[in-house]
Amino acid sequence: MGRYLMRRLLSALVTLWLLATIVFAVVNVIPGDVGRKVLGPFAPKEDVAAFNHRLGTDRPLLHQYLVSMKNLITLHFGTSYASGSKVSSVIFPALFRSGKLALLAFIITIPVSILAGIFAARRQDKLADRSVVTLGLATSSIPEFVTAAVLMSIFCVHWKIGHVYATPPAGTSLLGQLPYLFFPAMAMVIAYFGYITRMTRAGVIQALHSDYARTATMKGLGKSEVMRTHLLRNALAPTITVISVQIGYLFGGIIGVEKVFNYAGLGSTMLIAVGSKDIPVLQGAVLLVGIVYMVSTLLADLLIAYLNPRVRLETKR
Amino acid sequence: MSESHDITPESSEIISTPAVDVFMPSSEPNNAPVSERRQARRENWRLIRRRPAFIIGCFIVLVFVICALFGTQLAPHSAFDFRVKPHLSPRAAYPFGTDKTGRDVFSRVIVGARDILKIAPLAALLSIVFGVTLGMFMGYFGGWLDNVAGRLVEAFLALPVVLIGLLAITTLGNSTWVVLGVVAALFTPIVARTVRAAVLAERDLDYVTSARLRGEGSIFIMFREILPNVSGPIVVELTVRIGYAVFTVATLSFLGAGPPPPSPDWGAQVSEAYNGIAGGFWWTTFFPALAIALLVIAVNLIADSVQSVLEGS
Repeated sequence: MGRYLMRRLLSALVTLWLLATIVFAVVNVIPGDVGRKVLGPFAPKEDVAAFNHRLGTDRPLLHQYLVSMKNLITLHFGTSYASGSKVSSVIFPALFRSGKLALLAFIITIPVSILAGIFAARRQDKLADRSVVTLGLATSSIPEFVTAAVLMSIFCVHWKIGHVYATPPAGTSLLGQLPYLFFPAMAMVIAYFGYITRMTRAGVIQALHSDYARTATMKGLGKSEVMRTHLLRNALAPTITVISVQIGYLFGGIIGVEKVFNYAGLGSTMLIAVGSKDIPVLQGAVLLVGIVYMVSTLLADLLIAYLNPRVRLETKR
Repeated sequence: MSESHDITPESSEIISTPAVDVFMPSSEPNNAPVSERRQARRENWRLIRRRPAFIIGCFIVLVFVICALFGTQLAPHSAFDFRVKPHLSPRAAYPFGTDKTGRDVFSRVIVGARDILKIAPLAALLSIVFGVTLGMFMGYFGGWLDNVAGRLVEAFLALPVVLIGLLAITTLGNSTWVVLGVVAALFTPIVARTVRAAVLAERDLDYVTSARLRGEGSIFIMFREILPNVSGPIVVELTVRIGYAVFTVATLSFLGAGPPPPSPDWGAQVSEAYNGIAGGFWWTTFFPALAIALLVIAVNLIADSVQSVLEGS
């Protein structure tokens, strides 16, 4: 297990370094005058030069690259162009707020979609199965902001059972924040429900056709007993992988949801950064999402290795 | 990793001289698999056509394509005129109501089909062209090229496409062409990964070995021998990519990284209007949002039908 962990961790670090390099390349693909871009075409030359000098954007590209790598390692992410404060002090609180929203979404999504997946797998190719699969395909293909806007129109404006502004007033208790976050979270539940259900369904169907499932049934175990003690442990591995990947990808969709519901999370922070061309904040936020993705896939792989001894022991050879 | 395929041009030349005789006779019944392939293709097409999901999807897409092509002629009002009263609720003359500047939402939804139906399929097609080329080289040559490119692809996949697209468009400035190029570039690694896996399964098959022994060049083998045999996954990938491209372009344009304002692009319309929902003006958001949802679902129904026939569900 130790060696498996080491190898997996090392490969995650290499991927993260490549990711940071790609992001750096994307940002610097046009050798532009950053100061001119931020301060606008009418700012005096001296101010632009001073701005560039203060932020180090007049240094050679290699130097800037090394600085950005150092900023990544220290999780400091550089200085915001717009406010002059540390990027980390802007994006970490925002990540925390987005994290609350995402966590609520996953607390609802995971049990619902795993149960729906098992439900569909047991009725393979029947009408109930087809309906669940088609519904999942349809809802997961709609962009999150569209779902969010529709939910908001129906529940928060027409029926008035939710809040149009999802940012709770300062000092609201964690439980008191729930009604604010519920409908934005539901927009994400609807988007991610489909993938996880489909994966669970495929995994359970495969496990149902396996020899060990037949053996377990033949030695007289009941259906739910077979499911609990034999099937799920194997069938859920692909589901766990999909969930971990979705945790990273969720930050693509959360931007739209946060914009619709005016929620001050990482997505809104990025949109504000886009508006003011605050590249370091944008870059830091993107890298932070990359880190979240790495950590969640790493944890998922460890969980799978824990559940399935074949994965864990393979590396001992 | 495996490097067993290392037949350099020189060595294959040496082997190919005596091998020509051996392989000559087999070149005649070589025509059989081609017609067989055509037959299989016809059969697949017949199976796809018969799926209800495919028919429904095609019908919806067709309606939107007509809107995109003849939008300005079809629309009952101008998509840009401010003359009508603002915030009229849906009624006979304005079936989808009017927006906050008094433009007819119905006409804007019809005309708005153009941008997304131009950008999304083109971006998907471009990503297929680049992705197939990259994936072909990765799968066929393997070795360090595959290792390095594979690592880069993996790093790319760690980020949501929308995020890195937003970053790229912010630094590059937003125009239709930038959006198209960025989406194509972001989908390329994903396509490459699929194609690479398909090529890996073909690389060591007999027909590739015999082509190599005949002395064919790598480019010929890759694009004339292997490509037709991996066309299934590529067609599936193309239809799936078009669906994701519609999704991505709509989201980017909602986030303000799409075609610039006066354009009646659906995502941009939702972005302009969503603040009005709280005031009760749901129709300015709802109808363009519905158009996005319908188009994405339709494309995905087509993609799903193609996928389940070609890959076997």
